[in-house]
Amino acid sequence: MIKGMKTLGLKRKILEVKDLHVHFYTYAGVVKAISGVSFEIYEGETFCLVGETGCGKSVTSRAITKLIESPGKIVKGQVLFYRDGSPIDLLKLSDEELRRIRGREIAYIFQDPTAALDPLYSVGYQIAETMVAHNTATWKEAFRRAVDILKSVLIPDPEKRVKNYPHELSGGMKQRVVIGISLSNKPKLLIADEPTTAVDVTIQAQILDLLRKLRQEEKMTLLLITHNMGVVAEMCDRVAVMYAGKIVEIGTVHQIFKNPQHPYTKGLLKAVPNPLIKIEKLESIPGTVPNLIFPPSGCRFHPRCPRKLDICDKKEPPLIEVEEGHKVACWLYVK
Amino acid sequence: MAGLKEYLIRRLITFIPTIIGVTIIVFLIANVIPADPARAWAGGERARPEVIERIRKMYHLDDPWYIQYIFVMKGILNYFINPNHEGALIDPLTSRYVFDDIFLRFPTTLQLAIFAEIFILSIGIPLGLISALKKDTLLDTFVRIFALIGVSLPIFWIGYIFIWIFFTNLGWTTLAGVPVPKCYETGTCPITTHVPLFDAIFAGEFDTLMQIIKRFWLPGFTLGLGYAGVLARIVRNSFLDALNSDFIEFAKAKGLPKRWIWKHALKNAMVPIITVIGLQFGGLLGGAYITETVFGLPGVGRYAVQAISNLDMPAVIGTTLLFSFLYVTVNLIVDITYSIIDPRVRY
Repeated sequence: MIKGMKTLGLKRKILEVKDLHVHFYTYAGVVKAISGVSFEIYEGETFCLVGETGCGKSVTSRAITKLIESPGKIVKGQVLFYRDGSPIDLLKLSDEELRRIRGREIAYIFQDPTAALDPLYSVGYQIAETMVAHNTATWKEAFRRAVDILKSVLIPDPEKRVKNYPHELSGGMKQRVVIGISLSNKPKLLIADEPTTAVDVTIQAQILDLLRKLRQEEKMTLLLITHNMGVVAEMCDRVAVMYAGKIVEIGTVHQIFKNPQHPYTKGLLKAVPNPLIKIEKLESIPGTVPNLIFPPSGCRFHPRCPRKLDICDKKEPPLIEVEEGHKVACWLYVK
Repeated sequence: MAGLKEYLIRRLITFIPTIIGVTIIVFLIANVIPADPARAWAGGERARPEVIERIRKMYHLDDPWYIQYIFVMKGILNYFINPNHEGALIDPLTSRYVFDDIFLRFPTTLQLAIFAEIFILSIGIPLGLISALKKDTLLDTFVRIFALIGVSLPIFWIGYIFIWIFFTNLGWTTLAGVPVPKCYETGTCPITTHVPLFDAIFAGEFDTLMQIIKRFWLPGFTLGLGYAGVLARIVRNSFLDALNSDFIEFAKAKGLPKRWIWKHALKNAMVPIITVIGLQFGGLLGGAYITETVFGLPGVGRYAVQAISNLDMPAVIGTTLLFSFLYVTVNLIVDITYSIIDPRVRY
């Protein structure tokens, strides 16, 4: 920890997730969606959570402000949010205290903009209510500011668009509106959960550009969740790779792409075109994502791992630092 | 809303084929019944042949079905077009205009429907909402069982149980006659709608109003109970569907207060709820034969059933026409409500 602080210089922590466990109590059994996830995010950086579908990255992002609905439950852990330097545990706050933080200090962007917007209300109303709910504007003021917000997310003709209903807008425009809603209260931390997955490929680059531009302008911290390694390379400062509800490797984007350590990260990078290293042939990782009701013993990746050791299915590997700011959970590196 | 007028006109025009279609079907079904209506109207087995012959001529019973149909429809149309009802269809059994008979009974049915609807809405909606908000708790289970019981209880049984409780033992209701405002006799009603409930309110006759409530609340409650059970389940399911949608999760992520979130969910749940309410009310306006019979209310439902058993075809066609007209009207109102709630619905 002390080492990390030194390398990152004056960077201050904004969010720290410690040993987070989230379980889903289903009829089939208890799904251990997240088991002991820990990471920290520093002010002003773009931190990425990467992993396959179902690895728990969305659940992690939602658990940060306790947006986990029944049958899900946060069974253990701490989420420390640093407000003016002093930490508060978000998981210990009351519903009302959390509500005041959501959308005000920590805002979200969801994957599917078509589903995230209420079809029965105009986009102007939906932007305005976010401000009014946090008392940052009166209704009249909020509607006026909604036009400026639409302008800032580069929607043409905002005076007209503010009166439009979601079905009258294209997918890309809807995602811009969702981004506008999230930014309306100028949050310190923006959590973007696969913001480009549901929009057209041609729009994806525009949305990412917009996010990058807004992050710089508003001096926000961004937690970006994605399964797209291209997006990671383009957007992120630091990356955490998740597999089956655990973080297997964490480091700067450079460390992860140039010097991946965990066999899963290596496999993941071989499966997609790597922007930093030339590779001849794309490979797939054999096997499938494990069942999280009965997760594999020891290291959860061992059934698919090409470099499995004897200890791997017996004991869980610790997260150890292999170089400054670069940690990996794998027995190969435990000396 | 700009096109509302055109839309209304367009929809009203589509009423005509719908209603003609319904009446033709009923007319044809009535025609294939192997019975001799003329003999039945004239008095049965001992009727004199010349009387039967005269009735046959009058009602064109020897002509092909379409001539008969046109005769009946013309008669109905004449009732509404001519101020003195010249050439209007006459009921062969009561020797009165068919629609005079129907309109004599319709206010009773309307009042029963209104009272039933009050109970349906005031029981069904709150129960559905509570059930959804307390999903999978004891309260939810209780409400769902109650809804199921409400739907399953036959009116002819629960009606008599209620009469035994509320009339015989508690005396909270009356069971005879249909109260009318005093201004009907004196002719001093400020507005005459021919519906005693409304006229009593307009005339400020609160004692009459109380009498009407006392007479109608129990049949309304009995009739409404089953419908309320259905509505409660629809409200519960549509509200839950809406609460589980992504935009509600996003609304939570936006930090909206709980009530604002419910407002979003409720508005989205409205479309299926309104559909069911509309269909139920349309059905109620068609009369409720069993409830009317159990509580001795002279409504349209009983009239229609009696007309069928008496082979009184003009009355059957008249009531069918009324029911189909009411049904399409209620549906039109439901459709207009959709377009008010949902901006995606355009006419």
